[in-house]
Amino acid sequence: MKKVQREIFYVFSPFLRVFHWIMVASIIILFVTGLLITKPAGILATEPTATSMSVDLIRNIHFTVAYIFLAAFILKVYGFIINKGDRLFPHFWRGYFYAQTVDVALHYMFLRNEHASYLRNPLARSSYVLLYVLVAIEFFTGFAMYLMTEPDAFSTQLFAWVNVVLGGEMITHYVHHYVAWFIILFAIGHIYMVIRAEFMEGESEVSSMFAGTKILAHHPLDEDDVDPDELDNADRLKRWTNVGEGISKIRNVGGN
Amino acid sequence: MEKRETMWESYRRRGLSRRTFIKGCVALTSLMGLSSGMVSKVVEAAETKQLPVVIWIHGHECTGCDESFIRSAAPLASDLILNNVALEYDHLLSAGSGEPFEEHLEKTIQAYNGKYILAVEGAVATKGSGIYCMSGGHPFLETLQRAAKGAAAIIAYGTCAVSGGIQSAAPNPTGSAGIGHFIGAKDVVNVPGCPPIPEVMTGVVMHVALFGKLPPLDSQGRPKQFYGNRIHDTCYRRPFFDAGLFADSYDDAGSKAGWCLYKLGCRGPETYNSCGNIRWFQGMSYPVQSGAPCIGCANANFWNQGPFSDRLPKYGPLGDIDKIGAGLAVATTAGVAAHGVLSVYQRSRRDAEAAESDEVKGGEDK
Repeated sequence: MKKVQREIFYVFSPFLRVFHWIMVASIIILFVTGLLITKPAGILATEPTATSMSVDLIRNIHFTVAYIFLAAFILKVYGFIINKGDRLFPHFWRGYFYAQTVDVALHYMFLRNEHASYLRNPLARSSYVLLYVLVAIEFFTGFAMYLMTEPDAFSTQLFAWVNVVLGGEMITHYVHHYVAWFIILFAIGHIYMVIRAEFMEGESEVSSMFAGTKILAHHPLDEDDVDPDELDNADRLKRWTNVGEGISKIRNVGGN
Repeated sequence: MEKRETMWESYRRRGLSRRTFIKGCVALTSLMGLSSGMVSKVVEAAETKQLPVVIWIHGHECTGCDESFIRSAAPLASDLILNNVALEYDHLLSAGSGEPFEEHLEKTIQAYNGKYILAVEGAVATKGSGIYCMSGGHPFLETLQRAAKGAAAIIAYGTCAVSGGIQSAAPNPTGSAGIGHFIGAKDVVNVPGCPPIPEVMTGVVMHVALFGKLPPLDSQGRPKQFYGNRIHDTCYRRPFFDAGLFADSYDDAGSKAGWCLYKLGCRGPETYNSCGNIRWFQGMSYPVQSGAPCIGCANANFWNQGPFSDRLPKYGPLGDIDKIGAGLAVATTAGVAAHGVLSVYQRSRRDAEAAESDEVKGGEDK
């Protein structure tokens, strides 16, 4: 077997990883309960005392999970503050960002054999910004509807403008519903892309969201985006990670 | 102009007892949506404040709001316009007509400049210089602006006056719009509804008349005491919603049992009004109670949000969004699967090429 030298990069803090999986669970639960609130399932029992489907319960699950999701965001913020690798923004303000995006896009369109190696490629970076925009829309429209049971409350005043901007609460309902579907479409694309990157390009996209580290055969262009101090951490990891056949974990691939 | 009476003076002139007067004040307090602790303030105002002059004008509308208004039972609409306010001008209720009547409007505007309450029903037709709605030889827009200039307070009655009404539904050939943009920086109370609830109409005008100021308003200029709750949150059918018991059609068992009308397109969850609290015609009924889903008639733009019998996911310009969403999800899944297959093919070709070039290199080395 051909010997490939790989190096370890510590990218995601535990806070980001935990947040990510809470987000996954939240989105699934919110989506399913949301559909059921919009269009409650038919009930089989006709006796009111024997209802199998409580819309009240489903709504409460939806609201509770929404709050948990929102609360979990604090983890993301904390990770963002303490760890450079949690801040893999799209560098819109850099000229090379666009050239790199084109490079990656051409590869995904099969017009190039491969694209340069990244810790997170520029196209992915942009797509995560899009996801957060969609989630923010859900957040604002959701609370605008939820809190309006008490139009006078202070918390309501923070969100009531959404209904005005969108032109009525009816519109808020359907923006919330349409955007939920866009998030699902994003999720399908996201799951495919990370699996593809993991198993076809060896970019450890999936495993890094569990382990926090990426083990790459190629030197990533955006290496500077992670904190070099964390490399000690990676060294420690090296000791207990079993080194597979043909994979030696070497920090410096220089000279290769 | 002669000195105007207070409400108390008008009661005495008609030989009504103090007891009757106090009872009237208590009734007024409750219909204005105020707490019982406010009775003394209402009595005080009724004793000392002269009956306010009211000018009531009608624009682009169906006068359905008046039909609602004259059915107010507590107090009787007749009581209100004859005893509680000095109604000087009203297209529909005044006995006078013709030129003397129009002249009286001008006189009233001048005599009570800055003191009268202006009640407006109907939208403003803006296209064609306002020729689509004229009365007394003037476009309504002109009359409105003239009357609004000297008004102490303006009450916009009905969804037409508030936000344009049914005649402003797409494509809106008359360019109808609510009065808000045409009255300058005047205080205005929005009382939407198609029509508003009778007691809400009388309650708002009495509040302005007695206290000389507008009732507390929400962000959309509606009186909080009447528009502070969703119909959905005050609906007596809400327990059926919570339990998941729905009428699926207008004539099924659920409908007969009085279950929730959510699936029939009820707009209760987006509509703010007092239908669920005070209901209509002395608490007799309201649309949901009679088995008809709420159409959200107090909402701006409700006329463009049809069909009224649909909610999400079926409702909306694109059709059933859940079907579209599921279709897109399937298409996306198929798309990424195809992309995956092509990627595998691309990689195998890439590897083959690499191996080939390695071989060539290897050959050169030898």
